[in-house]
Amino acid sequence: MSQTPQTKGTSTPVEFNSFAPVVGINFGNSYASIAVHAKEGQAECIANEDGERQIACAISFSGEEMYIGNQAKAQLVKNAKNTIINFRDLLGKKFSEIPQPTTPAASAPVIQHPDLPDTAAYKVEILQPAPSPLPAPSNPTSKVGTPAMNTPRSEPVRTTRILTPSEVASIFLRSLLTSAEDFLGKKVEGAVITVPAWWSAEQRAALETAAKDAGIPVIQLLEEAAAAASTATSASWVGDDAASPLLPDRTQLIVDVGSTSTSLSLLSIREGLSYVLASSYHPDLGANQIDDKLIKHFATDFTKKTKVPLTVAPAPADSVQDQRAEARLRLAIEHTKRTISASPGAATCSVESLKDGFDYTGSINRMRFDMVASPVYVSIADHIVSLLSSAGVDSHEVDEIVYVGGTGSLPGLDEKVGSAGGFDEDRVQTPFARGTVVGGGVGDPTTILARGAAAQAALITALSSNSEEDKELKEAITHAEGDVNKVKATSRTLGLLFPNSTEEHAELGGVFVPVVQKETALPARRILQLEVGLTQDSKRVAFEVWEVKEGIRVEKVKVEAEPLSDGEDEEQEDEFEEVKHKIISKEILLGALEFEAKLGLQVKGKSELAGTWSTTVQVQFIVGIEGELDVEAKEIGGSAEEGVQPAVVRLHVPAPSA
Amino acid sequence: MAVIIPPVAASYKTPSPPSTSRLSAPHPSGHRTLLPVGPAYVNHLRLSLHHQHSFSALDKHLEAEAQRLASLNANANTEVDDLGVGSEEEDDSILTLDPKEWKKHDYYKVLGLSHFRHNATQEQIKFAHRKKVLKHHPDKKASSTAPTSTSAFLTGVNLNTNDDAFFKCISKAHEVLSNPEKRRQFDSVDPHFMDLEEDMPTAAETKSKNFEFFKTFTHVFDLYSRFSKVQPVPGLGHIDSTKEEVEGFYDFWYNFDSWRSFEWMDKEVNEGSDSRDDKRYTEKKNKTERARRKKEDIAKVRGLVDLALSVDPRIKRIKQQEKEAREAKKRGVPGKAGPSKTKQEEEQEKKRLEEEAAQKEAAEQAARADAKKAKAAAANAAKKARRQARAAEGS
Repeated sequence: MSQTPQTKGTSTPVEFNSFAPVVGINFGNSYASIAVHAKEGQAECIANEDGERQIACAISFSGEEMYIGNQAKAQLVKNAKNTIINFRDLLGKKFSEIPQPTTPAASAPVIQHPDLPDTAAYKVEILQPAPSPLPAPSNPTSKVGTPAMNTPRSEPVRTTRILTPSEVASIFLRSLLTSAEDFLGKKVEGAVITVPAWWSAEQRAALETAAKDAGIPVIQLLEEAAAAASTATSASWVGDDAASPLLPDRTQLIVDVGSTSTSLSLLSIREGLSYVLASSYHPDLGANQIDDKLIKHFATDFTKKTKVPLTVAPAPADSVQDQRAEARLRLAIEHTKRTISASPGAATCSVESLKDGFDYTGSINRMRFDMVASPVYVSIADHIVSLLSSAGVDSHEVDEIVYVGGTGSLPGLDEKVGSAGGFDEDRVQTPFARGTVVGGGVGDPTTILARGAAAQAALITALSSNSEEDKELKEAITHAEGDVNKVKATSRTLGLLFPNSTEEHAELGGVFVPVVQKETALPARRILQLEVGLTQDSKRVAFEVWEVKEGIRVEKVKVEAEPLSDGEDEEQEDEFEEVKHKIISKEILLGALEFEAKLGLQVKGKSELAGTWSTTVQVQFIVGIEGELDVEAKEIGGSAEEGVQPAVVRLHVPAPSA
Repeated sequence: MAVIIPPVAASYKTPSPPSTSRLSAPHPSGHRTLLPVGPAYVNHLRLSLHHQHSFSALDKHLEAEAQRLASLNANANTEVDDLGVGSEEEDDSILTLDPKEWKKHDYYKVLGLSHFRHNATQEQIKFAHRKKVLKHHPDKKASSTAPTSTSAFLTGVNLNTNDDAFFKCISKAHEVLSNPEKRRQFDSVDPHFMDLEEDMPTAAETKSKNFEFFKTFTHVFDLYSRFSKVQPVPGLGHIDSTKEEVEGFYDFWYNFDSWRSFEWMDKEVNEGSDSRDDKRYTEKKNKTERARRKKEDIAKVRGLVDLALSVDPRIKRIKQQEKEAREAKKRGVPGKAGPSKTKQEEEQEKKRLEEEAAQKEAAEQAARADAKKAKAAAANAAKKARRQARAAEGS
């Protein structure tokens, strides 16, 4: 029997300034995205001038030109040494702290800055436009009367330019800002930029400096998990109706698979308030490994088709052709991966003149793709399992999985995580299950962070009215290193037990309705309304307040055994199967309340419930900052009889003497 | 809510919890760090920073804030000027109009302007049209009212192909009303006006006892005044209007110059037929029909004016006054006759005039006689001269 109490949260929606020109920037190591706060009060990811929502973090110098974004990435094929990628993670790091790559880099190498001590830098070759010639003499005609010819501009000068990672980031961020301002048609007044949770204070400071140099008015640097939570707690994510499968209190797993690294966070979301229960960061695991496996697959296919030997990932250092072929393949499989994510059919990969003038066109279906990428999926799933076990959270207690990053759009990853992580497949919510991934839905993993950052920017900007309180709040949010975010949280779940002696509820002795979940930040208030049945003769409503312990009972059942009534088991080929049940054990009785219902209603009509009596009870739980509990139960408008005082009962439990 | 908690059993006894029972100690402060995102977090901060963790204080604050925002929004709303268009109710008879029968539609009603009708300005028409288009655009309807198909092949296909019917009507209405010439034609035969025109007062009605002249005819002339090329139109006035006003009014209406025309009621020229004769025949018929209707209309207005004149209490009053004035004159009441002269004086004047005329006559006769004499003399002189000349030649 499932209970869906209608909880009314403390989270009254805050009104936003309708057209605040604020942006959220997700600044990843490989890709960035921008979101703006759009008309409907929702954040929306926007495209840059090239129509790209996923903007590659790359800058390339070619002659007099500078390319930024996906155009720059294309330069990796022929102009690799002047193309800068992966610069974000170098921000705020000393040269000596940067591990030297073991394999020759496929892009501009990181060198020691020639002038500044212990500073990383990139050296690129550019063509500097020659200084414009001296202006023509004031007397523009020669003696003969013909106009003097202007001195032609000389050839551009070949020169080198030294760029620090901070300068590169600044150039890149400025291009993002320009895109956003072109879209908004206004000057951006505030921006929230995402940063990885594991960044040090120096790295944050370096990013802030780079952003300031780019002219971005930074409001806040937001952790990536927080940006994801910002999107995943928004109204557009949860949905408006009460029938939404996402409960206001839920445990959420965020799986952020980037190109070069993966981070996992387990969040406890309690009516919009969220905090991290556990997190882990895996710098060696990412989509690049999937890419490596995929291009190997295609390279083998190419060799098979054309009899041209091709070695990639890594390409031999002495073969420029192979290196270029690898770069071409890497560009081409971006498209392949997107096709696999978007459609259930096969995806193609085609490269013109891959090697020795041979073109390559191959296709891969989803099954084959998942097989190729499976080792990466498995290691992600393994990390999830170890994270859950370190946090002491059973996989069945996870209510929702949120994927972040382009790799998160791959349906194969979701399938593998769902099965290998041991999640409760009937209950766990993923964007895939809700069908919000494709077509730029709310669950689109590639835009979640940017949208969360934009929503945050709008939220903070809305506070900047004139009142003192709001100013102080703004200060507290943007410089949240202080103690304000350190909260107390409940350790056990509190709830109501409506006693009932029927067979069905024998285990607990009644119907248990959880009210305040464990891991809820204090102070907390929960209000819920319940329909409570009455009998013809007595209008008594009685319930007990319990603190309970939740657990998972693992049963090993034989497959041949009769399926259990709650249908949680599935037939598998193992002889024994682990079936997990959520169990609740009563720990502490905190109080008991009863009253006579005055506003009872008899159900009319012909439904099977006709003739039964019921009333609506509103129960409010307030858990104070010290752990004291106040319960108030009130009967509300069942019948519209005037003059009848509804029954109200209260209970106070003092704070534990800790 | 679907789930109802079963009633408590009668045998249930409320347990008495030990008074020492407490919640288990919460995780200490610093155990968890909140992610600083979302409106719930802002409320949490308010709670901890300003309201001493008291929910009731926070509720008060939020309520005040909501009211402030609501008042801001209310102010913002009043700034939007809808030019008085407002929102009229759309009943089914309007929403189910057939766009093919467009000639029979009431365009003002379609655009929700029936409280303005011919008085609606172009701005109001434009505004009302935009408003209706936003509401009834087929793109919006497709999602909301598309009937669902059970066939798997048709899922997602909009089966309701007629749901843009009303949109077509809106477009047509705007097309007509925004074109001055077409609007004039439509206003001439405005269905609402035609309805009102049906119950014009008749001669029989005016004879009835409780007939109110001013009430009835003010309304009638107000209705027709819309067709006047000359604006403003003089009003019917009231019982105490002066003679000049009343005469001015009837003068205007006897010379009423109307722009009303009846092209709207033309029979469609059969486009399909190539026969030129056929077309010409229809056109000719339309033309005569228009002329006939126009003539009828003029006659109708004239009839109404005649009727009004015949029963106008002021005309009776004015006639009475004139009669009184004449009678007073006859009786020779001094002071009242004012500028008019006594009979004696009049006769003297007459005499004087006659004398003058006689004198004039005499003078004229004399003059004529003189002229005759002079003519004869001149003729004699000429004869003489000729004779002398002949004699001179002959010698």
